[in-house]
Amino acid sequence: MEYSISTILPIMLLPFFAFVLNAFIVKKFTKTAVAISCVAIFIPFIMAMRIFIDFVFNKYSSDYYIHKTFTWFDLSAGAQIFKVQMGIYLDNMSAVMLLMVTGVAFLIHLFSTYYMHDDPRYGRFFVYLSLFTSAMLGLVLSDNLFSVFIFWELMGFCSYSLIGFYYEKEGAGNASLKAFMTTRVGDVFFLLGIVALWTTIGSVSYVEIYKAIAESSLSSPVILFGLGIPLATFAGFCIFMGTIGKSAQFPLQVWLPDAMFGPTPCSALIHAATMVAAGVYLSLRMYPLMDAGGLLEFIAYIGGITALGAATIALVQTDIKAVLAYSTISQLGYMVLGIGVGAYSASLMHLITHAVFKACLFLSAGSVIHALHDHHTHAPVQEMPRMGGLRKKLPYTFIAMLFCTLAISGIPLFSAFVSKDRILGDALVMAAHSPIYIVPAILGFCGAFLTPFYMFRMIFLTFYGEPRDQELYKHAHDEHFSYNRNLPLLILAVFTLGFWYSGSLTGQGIVKVFPESKYEWFQVLVEKPVLNKFLGRTATPLEVSESKEFIEHSHYDPNHGIASEEEAHHVHLIHRFGAAASFLIALCGILLAYSMYITRKFSPEWWTTTFAQWTKALKNRYYFDHLYIDILIQKLLHPFNNLLAWIDMGFYDRYAVDGWERVLALSYSVARWFDNIVIDSVLVDGSGISVRFFNIVLRTIQNGKIQFYFLVLLFVLASYVLAFKPVI
Amino acid sequence: MQHLLNWILWTPALGIIGTLLIPGKAHNTIRIWSLLVTAITFAMTILLYCQFDQAAPGMQEYFNIKFPWIEQFHIYYSLGVDGISLPMVLLTGLLFFLCILSSWTIEKSVKSYFALFLMLEASVFGVFLALDFFLFYVFWEVMLIPMFFLIGIWGGENREYAAVKFFLYTFAGSVLMLVGLIALYFQSGANSESFNILALQGGKFGDEVVTLFGTDWNFGILVFIGMFIAFAIKVPIFPFHTWLPHAHVQAPTAVSVILAGVLLKMGTYGFLRIAFPILPEAAVYFRDWIAWLGLINVIYGALCAMAQSDMKKLIAYSSVSHMGFVMLGLAAMTTQGTNGAVLQMFNHGTSTSMMFLMVGVLYERSHHRWIVRPDGTKGFGGLYTKLPIYSIVFIISMFASMGLPGLSGFISEALIFLGIYKEFTTITVLALIGLLVGAAYLLWMFKRMFFGEVIPSVAGYHDMNAREILYMAPLCITVILLGVYPAPILNIMKESVGSLVQLLAKFQ
Repeated sequence: MEYSISTILPIMLLPFFAFVLNAFIVKKFTKTAVAISCVAIFIPFIMAMRIFIDFVFNKYSSDYYIHKTFTWFDLSAGAQIFKVQMGIYLDNMSAVMLLMVTGVAFLIHLFSTYYMHDDPRYGRFFVYLSLFTSAMLGLVLSDNLFSVFIFWELMGFCSYSLIGFYYEKEGAGNASLKAFMTTRVGDVFFLLGIVALWTTIGSVSYVEIYKAIAESSLSSPVILFGLGIPLATFAGFCIFMGTIGKSAQFPLQVWLPDAMFGPTPCSALIHAATMVAAGVYLSLRMYPLMDAGGLLEFIAYIGGITALGAATIALVQTDIKAVLAYSTISQLGYMVLGIGVGAYSASLMHLITHAVFKACLFLSAGSVIHALHDHHTHAPVQEMPRMGGLRKKLPYTFIAMLFCTLAISGIPLFSAFVSKDRILGDALVMAAHSPIYIVPAILGFCGAFLTPFYMFRMIFLTFYGEPRDQELYKHAHDEHFSYNRNLPLLILAVFTLGFWYSGSLTGQGIVKVFPESKYEWFQVLVEKPVLNKFLGRTATPLEVSESKEFIEHSHYDPNHGIASEEEAHHVHLIHRFGAAASFLIALCGILLAYSMYITRKFSPEWWTTTFAQWTKALKNRYYFDHLYIDILIQKLLHPFNNLLAWIDMGFYDRYAVDGWERVLALSYSVARWFDNIVIDSVLVDGSGISVRFFNIVLRTIQNGKIQFYFLVLLFVLASYVLAFKPVI
Repeated sequence: MQHLLNWILWTPALGIIGTLLIPGKAHNTIRIWSLLVTAITFAMTILLYCQFDQAAPGMQEYFNIKFPWIEQFHIYYSLGVDGISLPMVLLTGLLFFLCILSSWTIEKSVKSYFALFLMLEASVFGVFLALDFFLFYVFWEVMLIPMFFLIGIWGGENREYAAVKFFLYTFAGSVLMLVGLIALYFQSGANSESFNILALQGGKFGDEVVTLFGTDWNFGILVFIGMFIAFAIKVPIFPFHTWLPHAHVQAPTAVSVILAGVLLKMGTYGFLRIAFPILPEAAVYFRDWIAWLGLINVIYGALCAMAQSDMKKLIAYSSVSHMGFVMLGLAAMTTQGTNGAVLQMFNHGTSTSMMFLMVGVLYERSHHRWIVRPDGTKGFGGLYTKLPIYSIVFIISMFASMGLPGLSGFISEALIFLGIYKEFTTITVLALIGLLVGAAYLLWMFKRMFFGEVIPSVAGYHDMNAREILYMAPLCITVILLGVYPAPILNIMKESVGSLVQLLAKFQ
């Protein structure tokens, strides 16, 4: 199968065209617009499926990739060359991602036709969904960080619009602002990282970055505030900050729970399955850079802290969507932890498995919420304390949710057991090698205990026991199977089974059903980029037909690059131990939830009263929102801004600028005084006065009277005679 | 079409005569006439764009117009266009055309308003097209007259203060420019090339010394300081920025649009056309200062904008912030940075104009601009519910202004960052704070005004009418198109910018 622009790019362009078209027609032809949106994601799904089959199963090995570029714009003038290249980069990882995104997105589109049907802005929702899907697919297809950033921000915009979808509510405005601004903190760093790499390497395409790392040309220091930081560390950190923002890692996790203000299907698509995973995807792509920058320990700590921290907050949530939101943060923490401990393919696998079961969980939650309708407030009900016993009323939703809960808990045969436990296993391996990793590993295992607990707490509170709000229960609609409500749930539930992702059904190395290299497709085909092979390669321009390069030999090494057999055995042992331990831990978590919420042996109230302070901290999300909003923004930033604005207008402009008027006024008055008194009165008028004076004198003298003249003459003569006494 | 530049420059001026001939009571005739004049002018700028040779750096010989004006002093009437001025000419043509549409609701002495508006257009074209320094100066000063009256007569409550402040502030700067241009005239030998901007270029005054107050000074640096202040006031660069919020708040909508969209660019255009190429040594000498001032603009403007509760003031400060990016790009003196700066000039022209026009649309309904009133209550609320079309256009304007990828502002900002990173790493890192805060104040404003329930005072508003949509649509299309595909603007500027960058590189 020959791949060209016409076979790859429509995956992203179709939803985009749907967005453009629907934006104009949605008001008049809502149903058509919705249909267009759905079709425009279904066709890319088929195309992605074909690419997936081609890449993963047919012929290509782990290091085959397609890279095609075109010039977006060109600033070259004379000797200075600067081109901005865009392009497509397709390898196994993107193929898997494409299939996941299109598949999940299609099912969510389908579910939305049920969920949003009675919403007054039904069509508009699909407009945003199309744009979002297009941006996500664009991100996956991107060959360089710059276009990743573009799509990344576009998704941020879609997320902003969808969180603020119910714009009549004041809270929606706050939540969308918070989400956009919090992720923007990370995005700004991400942009800085891109700029740093671009100016050094001259390009930010993956291939060029890998090449530069392989040539180790990224060690030149960045001089910042007089300090020298190695470029790889600096750029890696900045890009990882993007991940922290987008994937809601500590300490920028605050936005994701608030993002639940949006309609539930968008929570499923954006805030659980795909967009938030983009951060992890980016870090996976930039794994060699993080590695070269020596950031892996830092990443592992961030992931571990997030995984456990969010899991603890999830314990006390009563809103069904909030539980899922915190579990999303926690699971993203696992993926990041996976990157930190070098579990590259396991991390991506967890991204995929998580996307499937979390989409399903959110859609199921949507199905539950939709079934419950408060007849007093006319609002859908999300509070678990008012639910209970719903499994009879919502059997399909219950089954789907149960499957997903088993999957997320890490029960064998389900998907997260394969993916999450590989991450935990690798964390253990790393901890065994270097003590610095002990803390992240412990954090991960603690989280693994809490995950099944809070998830089963949710299941038990929602579906088991007696209905706690009888009136609500009575009014709840019975679930009848419908293609757009239950089918997406059940399809997703089927894909929570582990065998889709791994041939060894019960986890790494214990029971191998098929020979590893053949059916461990995920591990075989998705592996860390081998940098050396990028050394000699350059991108193929889109116009030129692609030169076929098949590398038959796979680099997959089940021994994780460990040479000696003894050590490999050791690693396998740790993995086995890890898998067994996390399974046992998960069982403990489920049992605890069972005894607390079904048999009521341990009362949850006992815990909340005994650890009252702790509970309070959890309910307040460890006071992070308080710290950011009340202290940093309200108490520090706003007063500072007000002060600055006051200084600008009230002081600087008023005195320093308008003060010149006073200075001028003063100089005018000095000038006027000088002019009036010195020049005018003394010199000008003075000269007039002097003329008048002489005038009077002369007039008096020259009065034309001959007698006077004689008198004067006589006087003069007399004084002459008297004074000089002439000699006669 | 050799006289195209003449036509572009003098069509609005001829339009003034037409306006004056129409009876003052015939308001609609005057409006339609002005619209026609600006439409023809805009069409001619497009024609200029089409005929422009994208591959040629420097002034395009084909369009040059030059004949003597005051021969005794070697002053020529000389016009020309290159890749730096063409985007500005296009922007001017577009914005004036749209502003006439948005001024349709002006009822106070319609005749003089439109006459002054056309006069403003002619003088702005003059600034962007002049190749003779003296001619440039004349247009630069002539521009003040219509602005003074437009703010002083059609402005808000405090209009006289703002108009006088604007006039005096800019005039004070122009005096320094006048000194500079006379100094350059005599320093270059007072010959027939001495007012020729192109002939003065190329770093001919690097080693000249001038004695002033008994001390020897470097001529270039001294003249550069004077010109810097003249242009900095126009941009405006901190600490010369405080006239801008006053002028914006008091000016009527269309004048605000022109002020932010076009007039501010005259300052940065002055750097690109005059200060940098004529005195490259001094420009390189001062580049650290320019970069730091640009950074202060970016952050200071953004932080001040965050504290504003008047929409127009907020956008005025955001202009200060965004023009800071232009200065950063100029200080970079690299291909990416300077291209980014010129592109940012264009993009800021479109996006800020959109913001001001949107404020104007709302103001015609509300007659106030409070985001939060001084007594703490909301000025607006629930506009999203009440005005759906308005909200969508506002979202486009807002995100274009904050530089969302896919809209035009992003590419120019990214190019500026790419250009400046190598030269000023620390400044780049700090400037990103401005990017962050830049999103915050706009979204904060949006949240306060558009979300939540419809407050009673908003309930009576009607959505945008056809005329308003008509003048917003071209701008929306422009920001989206240039966001997706910026090459149409970048291609025309890159050769000219490239030669400027090469010139500056010689002196680094």
